[in-house]
Amino acid sequence: MATYILRRLIQAIPIVVGISLISFLIVYLTPGSPVDKFRTPRVSPQTIANLIHLYGLDQPLPIQFWNWFTHFWSFPWDNLAWGYSFTDGRPVRDKIFQRIPSTLLLMGTSLVVSLVIAIPIGILQAIKQYSWADRIITTFETIGYAMPTFWLGLILKQFFAVNLNWLPLNGQNTLGKQGDIPDMIMHLILPVTTLAVVSIAGWSRYMRASMLEVMRQDYVRTARAKGLPPSRVIGRHALRNAMIPIVTLLGLTIPSLLSGAAITETVFSWPGLGWLGVTSVGDRDYPVVLAVTMIGGMMVIIGNLLADVLYAVVDPRIHY
Amino acid sequence: MASSETTRPGAVSPLGNADTDEIDLVAVQTYWQLVRRRFFRNKTAVIGLVLLSILIFSAIFFPWIGGDAWHMTNLSKGPNDPISITAPLGYDNLGINIFFRLMKALQTSLIIGFSAVLIIAVVGTTFGSISGYAGGWVDNLMMRIVDVVLSLPGFFLILMLVAFIGSVVAPMFVIIIAIGITGWTTAARLVRAEFLRLRESDFVQAAKALGASDSRIIIRHMVPSAMAPVLVAATLGIADAVSTEAALSFLGYGIRPPDASLGNMLTGAQDYFYRHPLWILYPGITLILVVLAASFLGDGLRDALDPRQKLEA
Repeated sequence: MATYILRRLIQAIPIVVGISLISFLIVYLTPGSPVDKFRTPRVSPQTIANLIHLYGLDQPLPIQFWNWFTHFWSFPWDNLAWGYSFTDGRPVRDKIFQRIPSTLLLMGTSLVVSLVIAIPIGILQAIKQYSWADRIITTFETIGYAMPTFWLGLILKQFFAVNLNWLPLNGQNTLGKQGDIPDMIMHLILPVTTLAVVSIAGWSRYMRASMLEVMRQDYVRTARAKGLPPSRVIGRHALRNAMIPIVTLLGLTIPSLLSGAAITETVFSWPGLGWLGVTSVGDRDYPVVLAVTMIGGMMVIIGNLLADVLYAVVDPRIHY
Repeated sequence: MASSETTRPGAVSPLGNADTDEIDLVAVQTYWQLVRRRFFRNKTAVIGLVLLSILIFSAIFFPWIGGDAWHMTNLSKGPNDPISITAPLGYDNLGINIFFRLMKALQTSLIIGFSAVLIIAVVGTTFGSISGYAGGWVDNLMMRIVDVVLSLPGFFLILMLVAFIGSVVAPMFVIIIAIGITGWTTAARLVRAEFLRLRESDFVQAAKALGASDSRIIIRHMVPSAMAPVLVAATLGIADAVSTEAALSFLGYGIRPPDASLGNMLTGAQDYFYRHPLWILYPGITLILVVLAASFLGDGLRDALDPRQKLEA
């Protein structure tokens, strides 16, 4: 297992290099420059040239890439490893680390909520396959899955926050109430609901399919045949194996806890990484954009690895 | 697909021939006939096909008869004007006919959806077939490239491309390209898997033995046999592409007014939700219908094309 993880990590190195190269090239080869916003009639060409020199934009591209790439990995101890933000001059690392707790809170809550609701729904659907309850839930799942998150978020926000005024409109806390837990929970309800509706639809579909697959197996029939009560057959025999693909999928999902949900966070102005990413793209804040892309990419790699490792942990038939 | 159904030239009608075996009279169902039967037996698949056809027809027909109505402002019309045959959804705050604007937005979405998926299918098939056919280190290298692209945060990358380049080049074009170049990996993997299987099959070996060139074997023999999973992935991809465009335009980076898009119609409707809540429903429901139609059709095609797949419900 240890050698397997090590091998996968070594295999990940070229992928990480590839990701950084592509994101770097997109950022630097696209039209426009970060100094464009300083180009006003009041700023002399000399000042612009100084800025270009200051940001290192006059150096050859491979050197710029090399400087950025080698410096990038010193982030655990160097708070300037990811450079300064172009918009407010703060170190990018601090800016990003500051957003991580909010993203973790939002994504974690919605993941837990979705799983707690979706897994029983999926089991119920599998046990009562083709019943009216199964059909109705399947219909809702299909619609929920097709629903764009930003549209759902918009409607929930307008209805519950604007028209009814029951819940706060956006943000993580009411101004002046930072760290107030009940206030934060009120702010969490709408974005979590938005994210949960879509993911409940997905998770319960998987759970239903996985459970149906397991319930066809011989050993479940044996358990039934030897007279075990249905609750024990479902809960002990079928469920444990039906959870294997779910756990694997969970591994793939965990990275999104960090990279956040760009659209939902933007709709609700939730101060997470996703919203930071969207706004920094708009501001052409290249160092922040690069850092967010890199985090997103690395989270995907870690997620894939995590899924494979979890697969081996929960399923003793798998060996690496 | 037609070639399998045509009769061989020179084949004599079996009834007029004395030495015909009984077995020749049994109707043989070709693969595509079976596919068609399985597809039309599946209710959701047919719903998807009909729904998508209606949407495509509306997206072509209504903007055509509407002419400039989708962006013509009219100060003598407003949200309080009664709805009529020519304006079934009424007028917005600028006096623009909402129905025609919605249809124009649907047209934009479908053009983006279909074009992006076309790029995905072409790039994915080319990449996957070369990788699968070549094998060895070429395959290995190409699959690592797929791994890199798969690891890139997709939506964020598209957002970057559209925001950075969309201000210089037409945003619609950039969106299509951006979705295309980030989304081809699944199609490539599917085609590669098919090619690995087909490479060892008898008909490919036969073509090779007859001295067909590599490009001929790939294009004439293997690609048509490997298209089924690409067709499914492409159909399902329409749903993704359309939602991605809507999200981009909604965030303000994609198609910007006065051009119509389902996403920017939502952004516009947001400000009027209190008094005109229906305005937010029109583009949203249209979007859901497109996504549903494409996924129903895609799922139906998958079930119909794969004989090993068990039919559910």
